[in-house]
This record gives sequence, C-alpha cells and structure tokens, in this order.
Amino acid sequence: MTTSTLTKNTATTPILLSNNDVQVEEGRLGKLIMARLKPNQDLTESVEALCRQHGMLRAIVRGAIGSLIDAHLEYATASGWREMEINGPGVEILNVFGEVGFSGKHQAAPLQGVVADVDGKIFAGRFVRGSNLSFITIEITLQEWIAVAA
Amino acid sequence: MKMSNKSADGHPGFVEVRKFLHAGQQSYPRTLDLEAEPAEELRLTLAPGTKVGAALREVLAHFAQRGQRGGVGRICAGTVRALQYHRIENTSDVDRPYDYGPPYLLDGVITMVTGAITIGQNPQGQILLHCHAGFLDGNGTIHGGHLLLDTVEVGDDPLIIRLCLFSLGAFVVNSDEETRFSLLHPTPMES
Repeated sequence: MTTSTLTKNTATTPILLSNNDVQVEEGRLGKLIMARLKPNQDLTESVEALCRQHGMLRAIVRGAIGSLIDAHLEYATASGWREMEINGPGVEILNVFGEVGFSGKHQAAPLQGVVADVDGKIFAGRFVRGSNLSFITIEITLQEWIAVAA
Repeated sequence: MKMSNKSADGHPGFVEVRKFLHAGQQSYPRTLDLEAEPAEELRLTLAPGTKVGAALREVLAHFAQRGQRGGVGRICAGTVRALQYHRIENTSDVDRPYDYGPPYLLDGVITMVTGAITIGQNPQGQILLHCHAGFLDGNGTIHGGHLLLDTVEVGDDPLIIRLCLFSLGAFVVNSDEETRFSLLHPTPMES
C-alpha cells in the first residue's frame, strides 16, 4: 500500500504512516481506581460498572488478583467462539489484561487473563461476560485512558 | 474442565453460573472502591540469588516514606530457583469450607510465565505482598496459584517486575465478616 495516512492527533508531532492498516492513538493515563469485589460479583460487569461510576469512558486494567467460583473463558475458532469451564470453587486469577470502552460498544470490556484451577493447572482466554463470579475476593486496579484531542 | 461451542453470531446462550453463599453475613455495597493518586511507575531488575520478598519490601519502604503506600505490579520475566505456592482446597471447617492447603514446594530451574502483585499493608502499616503467578518447573510442568513471595529466590536469569505505585489510597487488610478471611480493602490514606 502506498498511500500515506495522517493518524496522529496533536498539532506538534504528527505521525505519518505509509499505510491505512495502522492507527495510532496518543494519550495519557488519568485517574486511578482501586477496588475490591465481594463474593458473587462478575469480573467484567464490575469493571464496567466501576468505569461508569467514576466517569471513565475508557480505562485499562493495571492489576487484578483474586479467586473465582468457576472460570468461564472463551477463545475464537474457525466455527465460532468456544468456551471452557474451569471448575472450582477456588479458581485463582493469576493475571488480567484488557481495556474498557475501546470496542465501540458502550463500555464493552473484553478482558483476557490467566487462571489456575484447584490442581494448579493453568488456563487462558477471554473472560465470558457475566460468568466469572468472585469467590472470596478480587482486588482490581483500573486507570483511565485519555486520548489526546483531535 | 468442560468445553462447549457458542454460536457464530456471538450469542452466549444459556450459561450455568454457580454462586456461593459464605458462612457470614453479606454486606453492601458489593464493590468497595476508591480513587487514588497515581504516583510512580517502576521497573525492577532483581539479580540472581535475590530474595524477592525482602527486596520488594526494601524498595516499597523507601516509597512509603513519600506517601506511596498502595500499588500493583506484574512479574514480566525471569527464572527462580525456589518457591512455595498455595492452592485452594476443601476443608472440614464449616466457617471456611475452602482455604489454602499446605504450600507446594518447587526448586531447581523454574520459569516465570505470568504473575500479578497487589501491594497491601496491615493496619500497623507493615507491607503485605499478595501475589498470584504461573510458572513452569524444570520438567516443563505448568503450575499456578498463590505465590509466597517471601519464599522466592531469583534464578540464573534476572527477575523483572513492574510496579505501579499510588498515594492517597492503599489496600489494607481487615477481617471480612462474610467470608471469615482477612482480606485487602481499598482504604483512604493521607499523603
């Protein structure tokens, strides 16, 4: 592809790219929210609610540790999304990565992560919204993403 | 583990989701949250042989003097030569029917693959490290669980840890009536 695209938003340092397949968004991190989810709260829905409550249109997960009653993770296949159910209670959340509000859908939060079952085996995938309930506690920290205005 | 297919249009269908009622009284709200002040972004490189828990406490004590008592982190890379970790097990205690069992001990060459850390403190201000991590032992077997950072010794490759510290708020341990565990709670802090 030979066309040039101006994708950057600041007046001072525009980024000139050689194709239309890459979008660059510059921004900065804003307010930081720390939280504890009590038992039976869904991970993804709680993250979305925290963003709404604190007026954050977009945010990233800075850290998350805790346990789930059962974990429901999904991954893409040629025939659609396939879901794994990892049974607890006591599936440990080892790490969570993801963004809230970036997909275009209102506050949609496709969070990904790694969990360990009660035998210490590790699984990874996308957390299924509404299906990953806190068992004892989840500590989670979010930080706002503020894009540089066009 | 159970597997199931979801339709291609993304409809989640009916998903069976279990709830668990703990022995204690529930309290509301169900999410406790607090806005803190972002303060420091740190990248730590721990040399071979370093005791991870002690090293982190030394670093964090320095920043706590500046009022940065809360934080989170991720284990990015490295090997360790010894560690202990817990898994949640069924117990005979009606108040706490699920709890951590005795620690699992690993030594030799252990490769870290993922890990998250919550930096907390007790009510007296002593630093508490809550870490969950995944790792491979020297036979290639994958393990994951509640990692006791005070048992971890860095292996031949440096251990890289990133920390995000904040002020005006910290995770402070307090007893939780509902679960009967001592848990970390977001707590306002003066700078």
